Amino acid sequence: MTTASRRMSLTPAARRIAWAVVLVATLVLLVFGAGRNTGPLTQQERIDVITKRIACPTCDGESVFVSRASAAQAIRAEVARQVGDGVKTDDEIVAYVADRFGGQVLLVPRGSGIEALVWVLPVVLAVVLVGVLIVLFRRGNRGNRGNRGIDGEGGGPISASTGTTDGAPANRRPLVITLAIALVVGIGVGVLVARQSGQRLPLQTATGGIEDSTASLLAQARLAGPTDVKSAIDLYGRVLETDPDNVEALTYRAWLIMLSARQFDESLRTQAYASTITALGRAIELDPAYPDAMCFLGIVVFRDGGDAASASEFLDKCIARQPPAEVRGLVESLRAEVDAALGK
Amino acid sequence: MKPARIGALAVGFVMLALVAVLVVSDGDTDVGARSPLLGQPAPAIETTTIDDQPFTLARRKGSWVVFNFFNSTCVPCIAEHPSLVKFAEGERARPGGAEFYTVVNDDADAAIRDFFVANGGDWSKLRDTDGAIAVAFGVAKVPETWIIDPNGFVRLRILGAVTDGVLEAQMARLREGANS
Repeated sequence: MTTASRRMSLTPAARRIAWAVVLVATLVLLVFGAGRNTGPLTQQERIDVITKRIACPTCDGESVFVSRASAAQAIRAEVARQVGDGVKTDDEIVAYVADRFGGQVLLVPRGSGIEALVWVLPVVLAVVLVGVLIVLFRRGNRGNRGNRGIDGEGGGPISASTGTTDGAPANRRPLVITLAIALVVGIGVGVLVARQSGQRLPLQTATGGIEDSTASLLAQARLAGPTDVKSAIDLYGRVLETDPDNVEALTYRAWLIMLSARQFDESLRTQAYASTITALGRAIELDPAYPDAMCFLGIVVFRDGGDAASASEFLDKCIARQPPAEVRGLVESLRAEVDAALGK
Repeated sequence: MKPARIGALAVGFVMLALVAVLVVSDGDTDVGARSPLLGQPAPAIETTTIDDQPFTLARRKGSWVVFNFFNSTCVPCIAEHPSLVKFAEGERARPGGAEFYTVVNDDADAAIRDFFVANGGDWSKLRDTDGAIAVAFGVAKVPETWIIDPNGFVRLRILGAVTDGVLEAQMARLREGANS
């Protein structure tokens, strides 16, 4: 060994200390990077930061921030609107866009699912390569020491192919063990990097289930309506707890209560009729253009109140408001009966 | 372990990973395109028609609703228009037929009016001035056609131009599924 190389070599203890320093420095930097706070941003800064994280869906390699394509402009307008609302966080806004256009619009890949491989694989590869290099260097060193032994101190014979001593298949074990450890460490570190650096989208659910919002409660209520009236009434009631002026919930809850009450006695039907008329009247007051409330009012007033004249007026108004097909079908089937009751 | 064996194992691992990716990914052989919105409640849409009539998607629950995202200068949009006219006429003629709407994508009211006067189609045309409806549905390029069921759930997304009979067949399939 030359004087220079002897000066460069470290004792095993010094090497361990050097490795420990590198490890600690890496951890400190990771923690610092994870915990850094860039401070409050203005709305425009937030819009810029968010749009730089989203790819233009119709361009190649451009972010929404730089693109002038109409789709990018629409996304930018939506981001600006949501930032202006001040309700959602940056991550939630990015999640909204990704939820609509798919993960391909994320310029920073997700830290979960198959996209996490983008983060994990390079780390695994790097750690495994470092592990392999360490093993090979150590073998090389041993080989050199062995060679010196032949020349000077009479060590055992050296295998030409591997540089290890003959008759020692166990010498392969360090390579395998090192590779296994490197693989495990690499995957572990890769997952950490993916979690730290990958895109996190808080609105997404693992099961893809719908969120518990007013819209989803209304949708669930509509699904339940025909077969499970009680659940539907409960769901509409939950909507009204948080949004007492929700016209759809007011209308359909009242309608389903009236339909259910028809199988009970006179007093219950009378109570249900009164509450239904009040609720439908409230819905019409809140949104005079909503056809369903007017249509149900006409049906209920005729079927349960026996007032053909008022019913006819309400049904005319209902048709003028262009009700959806289901409700139109109900009204059209009743129209002839109402006309007959009026002697038309 | 010999380096050659390690190399072979690595290649085998990569091949397995590729096969796994191919197995878990869906093929796009169907008419319908993928979207996270499929099977979910449709986005809340509130806008006006180019004739200044208010439109609220939530008010159309109880009807099948078909949205066609359209631009009068887009060649596939122009190509599919006769098929859309036939479909809309067929739906209008049947009881409980689907309601058809054009969602104007990055186009002027006057251009839309001129196009429909020249090519037919008297359904409502919805404004999407700032692209909010397109973003809500994740529409980047036109034409796209979406079908929403009477409960307000998104059922189908079709990318690109449709041809004669495609929408009719898809509506029949969806209605059958809804009734079963």
